[in-house]
Amino acid sequence: MGPHELALLTLRRLVAAIPLVIGVVVVNFTLIQLAPGDPTTALIGDYPAPPGYVEQVRAEFGLDRPIPEQLGRYLWQVGHGNLGYSFAHRKDVGELILERLPATLRLMLTALAIAIVLGVGLGILAARRRDSPLDHGTRLFSMTGYSVPEFWLGQILILVFALGLDLLPSQGARSLRAPPEGFAAFLDGLRYLALPAFALSLRYIALISRITRASLLEVMNADYILASRARGARERTVLLAHALRNAAPPIVTAIAYDFGFVLAGSALIETVFGWPGIGRLLFESITRRDYPVMTAILLFVSLGVVLANLIADLFHAALDPRVRRP
Amino acid sequence: MTHRSFLRRLLTGTVLAGTTLLAATNLSAQTRGGTAVIVIDSDPETLNAAITTGNAPGDIGAKLFEGLVWVDPDYKPQPSLATQWTVSQDQKTYTFTLRRGVKWHDGRDFSSADVKFTYDEALAKLHPRTQTTLRRLAPEIETPDANTVVFKLKETYAPFINIQTPFEAPMIPRHVYAGSDIKANTANEKPIGTGPFKFAEWNRGQAVRLVRNDAYWEAGKPYLDALVFQIIPQGPNRSTALETGEVDFLYQFYVSRPDVKRLADNNRIQAKRGSATPAVYFLMMNTARPALATKEARQALATAINRDLQVAQAMDGHARPGYGAFGDGFPWLVNADAAYAKKYPLDPSKAKALLDQAKVAPNTTLNLVFDPARPMFNAGGQIIRDNLRQVGLNVNLVPLERSVMIQKVFTERDFDLTLQSFSSSGDPSIGYHRIYLTNETRAQFLNASGYSNKAVDDLLGQAATAADQATRARLYREAQGILNEDVPTLVLYDEVGTDLASRKLNGLWKGVDGRDRWSEVWMTR
Repeated sequence: MGPHELALLTLRRLVAAIPLVIGVVVVNFTLIQLAPGDPTTALIGDYPAPPGYVEQVRAEFGLDRPIPEQLGRYLWQVGHGNLGYSFAHRKDVGELILERLPATLRLMLTALAIAIVLGVGLGILAARRRDSPLDHGTRLFSMTGYSVPEFWLGQILILVFALGLDLLPSQGARSLRAPPEGFAAFLDGLRYLALPAFALSLRYIALISRITRASLLEVMNADYILASRARGARERTVLLAHALRNAAPPIVTAIAYDFGFVLAGSALIETVFGWPGIGRLLFESITRRDYPVMTAILLFVSLGVVLANLIADLFHAALDPRVRRP
Repeated sequence: MTHRSFLRRLLTGTVLAGTTLLAATNLSAQTRGGTAVIVIDSDPETLNAAITTGNAPGDIGAKLFEGLVWVDPDYKPQPSLATQWTVSQDQKTYTFTLRRGVKWHDGRDFSSADVKFTYDEALAKLHPRTQTTLRRLAPEIETPDANTVVFKLKETYAPFINIQTPFEAPMIPRHVYAGSDIKANTANEKPIGTGPFKFAEWNRGQAVRLVRNDAYWEAGKPYLDALVFQIIPQGPNRSTALETGEVDFLYQFYVSRPDVKRLADNNRIQAKRGSATPAVYFLMMNTARPALATKEARQALATAINRDLQVAQAMDGHARPGYGAFGDGFPWLVNADAAYAKKYPLDPSKAKALLDQAKVAPNTTLNLVFDPARPMFNAGGQIIRDNLRQVGLNVNLVPLERSVMIQKVFTERDFDLTLQSFSSSGDPSIGYHRIYLTNETRAQFLNASGYSNKAVDDLLGQAATAADQATRARLYREAQGILNEDVPTLVLYDEVGTDLASRKLNGLWKGVDGRDRWSEVWMTR
């Protein structure tokens, strides 16, 4: 695929995503407004506010306007790159999210990397030794891994590795008592990353290994595999060069499709491990009825999903010439 | 000099010397250095403690900011930014002498102008709790010189000295805030106080870090190099982090109650039982509902509900069963003659008779609204349902997410029964009067029972302004006589909080509130 075609495909996908993203914003905004409850209750705290204070707070954040007007204002703001102002943090939402985004990306990308390497690896092993004890073992592992709720797994990991074995820290993203510097800080970061990243990845290891196995087995029955074997290619070449390449599209699709779920899972994992990312920010903004933060994060998530699917499409196009036709 | 006064002087001298010696030996045992990690549950909404009553800002603020006094475990005020104070004969004029040589963290001098500014512009306008008190007192504040502040109150107010704490009245710098919108000032993210620790950094979602204020007015203090406030959102994970040694201090508000026993039994952890600030948990009844409109019906509920079981099961024993309208957290005001234990011992058959007398039809259904995020209300609601079933009433449990609960109970008053808890915030007049005072507004966390009694309003009004404690006690006892009879709200229990800390920390709990006096805390290493 030439750079021209690639740019065109990207552009087409991005333009198609615009109404989708606007739709996401409108639906989220409306849903949040329809839900009972009032953000001022969270702002005021547990002590009764004097008369007039509630009105003052509502006016301060524009909550006294009719909902269509609030929605219109919000869309206008977002269109101009302004994501609004957080009630609970008294801070610009855009700044707040940018401050917390790197931590989430670090966690998610690590989890995805673990999931891809282990998931594809296990899938290949299982497919090669179909119906062997290894295959059955992998299948059992996948079933279990897929069924275990992330937040529960997170708590178990904390009990075993932090409390029981005293090997890894249980909360946060870095040492706070005596922050290390340089390479030591990097290693320190890895220690904090280990448990949440593994807890987040388990489900996707399971999913990816299942799909890899199924997809590979399907491809292995194809004539060109037979032909390749007939030509005397080594089994490893057959598997990795011919079969895996052709089995890849469904795997890539599944990974991209999962991207949104990984983000959703990170809301729980980040809360369990006290990880300072946007997943936990979302969780907290829901309990504090911090509408601007909620809507903005959901907007980010939908953008993330659109982007992940775009990347998957590009991968497809690179792997399979048939997709490249407009 | 008479013989007697000479003896007295000698004695005082000896005691003084002894105290100094003792203090000196203590000092040598204390080591400097170390970083303590304290838990908070979320990012503070601001670090300006003068404009919020949030938990995290109060927790951090108590180390950054100071009040004119601090309050010791016997509720006695002790000098902080003020070295001494006098109260006029009519109890309406308070004159504070300020400590000399106190510096703000940016090096500027602290003076009476800061006190006046903090009161007039921040506390009276923006502090959610103190502004309510100040509205009534309408203090006129004069600053005859840089080290003297005079408050002229419109009404007397017994707890006036005791609210001069870093929680209710923290001092903020005039030179930083004057002429700005205090709520939007960027200093709220990098605060400047006079306290033992200075702000260093705030990583959102992770931690707030404070470092030792080397220019602190009390020589040699604080002992610790730094304090880190680590955000741990989940209660059970806060317990684990204390066990693994990742954190050192868990204030009672952040403690996951079911974990207290396990943690207190850990030999690396020390526990302090007892609440700094009394708080009551109660069942508020909607007197506008026919079934609950009569006092006999409400007394029936008081007789049918097992308060001991609430303490044992809903609170895991971390409470004392309801004593009366104001609990027993303030021992000086309780009315033993009108105590619930005397008036309403558990007696289902008597409760049934009272319901008949009140003409409440058997099998009447009552909706009990509560916030299920509070575990004690989940369990407590079930106990109440079970208790009332035995006297022929059905209870429909209505768990509602907090802000929806607030709307239903306080705004719409669409409930029969509701489980709530209010903190006294240090004085019954600050936190408890609102349970019973006539309230026609729909503001949250006020009396939503619809109960309105002129006699009670008058008694509580007088109790708020009475200048001496004996008079206040008499007024409260009289009010309890009425309230314990009418029971618009049934106090189920007084909370007993537990602070938990690593044994490496020493010198904790010098103040009545475990979050205060961290200038005295030191670390074994």
